[in-house]
Amino acid sequence: MRLELHKVHITGLAFAEKTYTSGGTLFICKDEAEALIAEDRRFAKVELDLASPGDSTRIIPVKDVVEPRVKLDGKGYFPGFFAPMEKAGSGRTLVLDGAAVVTCGPIVAFQEGFIDMSGPGAPYTPFSNTYNVVLCVEPEEGLEKHLYETALREAGLKLGVYLARCCSENEWKADEVQVFEKGNTFEETAKYPDLPRIVYVCMNITQGLLHDTYLYASDLRPALPTFLHPNEVLDGAMVSGNCVSACDKNTTWHHLHNPIVQALYARHGKEINFLGVIPTQESTILDGKLRAAGMNLSIAQQLGADGAIISEEGYGNPDTDLCLNAKFFERAGIKTVLVSDESAGTDGASQSLADATPELDAFISTGNVNEMIEVPAMKKDIGYKEAISLLSGGAEESLRPDGSMYVELQSIIASTAEIGFNKLGCEWV
Amino acid sequence: MTREIERVAGIPVVQIATIVPIMLTVGTNRIVPGVAIPHPTGNPALGPEGDRAVRRELLLRSFKAMTTDITEQTIFEK
Repeated sequence: MRLELHKVHITGLAFAEKTYTSGGTLFICKDEAEALIAEDRRFAKVELDLASPGDSTRIIPVKDVVEPRVKLDGKGYFPGFFAPMEKAGSGRTLVLDGAAVVTCGPIVAFQEGFIDMSGPGAPYTPFSNTYNVVLCVEPEEGLEKHLYETALREAGLKLGVYLARCCSENEWKADEVQVFEKGNTFEETAKYPDLPRIVYVCMNITQGLLHDTYLYASDLRPALPTFLHPNEVLDGAMVSGNCVSACDKNTTWHHLHNPIVQALYARHGKEINFLGVIPTQESTILDGKLRAAGMNLSIAQQLGADGAIISEEGYGNPDTDLCLNAKFFERAGIKTVLVSDESAGTDGASQSLADATPELDAFISTGNVNEMIEVPAMKKDIGYKEAISLLSGGAEESLRPDGSMYVELQSIIASTAEIGFNKLGCEWV
Repeated sequence: MTREIERVAGIPVVQIATIVPIMLTVGTNRIVPGVAIPHPTGNPALGPEGDRAVRRELLLRSFKAMTTDITEQTIFEK
């Protein structure tokens, strides 16, 4: 399977008469884009705004982040959402690299977060470095929360596809073409019989009540673990439907960029034989957790895996899924490395995972979600700054009269992302 | 909390929660597995009558757990 990402590097944003890209700037026809999103009658108000790296701007509360992309030899993007229900992962994709659609509006649920484009909070989120087209909506009165979540999730995807499609229909030139190519597991294992066979287990929040992840537009919660070619993950098969804690939700943007998938891919055929990705569940029922861990192992064993990288999403009860995966795999003789953040209290002294098991002996920490941070007021707020009082990591007193905030890291989008897309780690003391 | 109530006040505690491995890790002694994290003590999917039956069974099992002598962490399954 061969995937070509044709990347246009975006280094500026501006509103204009039409939507296109030129000289690194993404020009956006505000009226046309807003009208497209306003077609959804579930929104009472739709407004686009722009936020660039270095701006004195805070975006709050943020639900999801989407990279603008479109298939060049097909239709749309995100199969089942804004592309036909076809297999992702092959052919050519136009990527507006460096641009992002950020979805915002009155809070959907308490686990959304904020992005500061400059100041001390900025380095904690990758989205202070992206050129953000912020979609700020208001739902129509009485719209139920789960329908609002659906509407806002789909609107972000739709806007991302619109931006990339408009650019593809006008003159454009790729600054870079990134190629991901790999055969099926049997071909690759025949090619590299001596390399250790490594599988990646990508745990996803699948808990209902606005804590869901979508695979080919299908809710993963009532599904079973399955197996994907890594190209499918890097090309829009997975979409976030999550209002889990802002710090460690894998946004749709994160799935498209999954650093673990990319790092394993880069070592494929050299140090390891990268078998592929097992997207799996984090159930709210103990039997569901046991079933998923058992089936993850079953898939890995059928592929002949020697080792597994396992990343978590969220914290708390999913720590049990993490421990079960470690236990099942290690006892079956498959080595595991786990990637997760820690919830170790504001002083970092508490037990950092809700569960523990002796098999969890190779662990990469992506940071402590409870660490406190002070962020100054920004000149401009996009969205609803008072939402911080309701967000995980925020409190009634977080927002001070001068506009500064004293909050836990977990209120910053992707500050401790558990697929490793951040700059935090830990050191032995 | 369950351990402290038992240790300080000497009152036996039964903990109903969904994720049994966490209760085992934190040292709960009398464990009754709950239904699901969003609804540990009932099952709304079964309708009002079915939900009531689940709740009643859990409560009766908890009473049994509370009055059973134990020497180690014990899970009281249905």
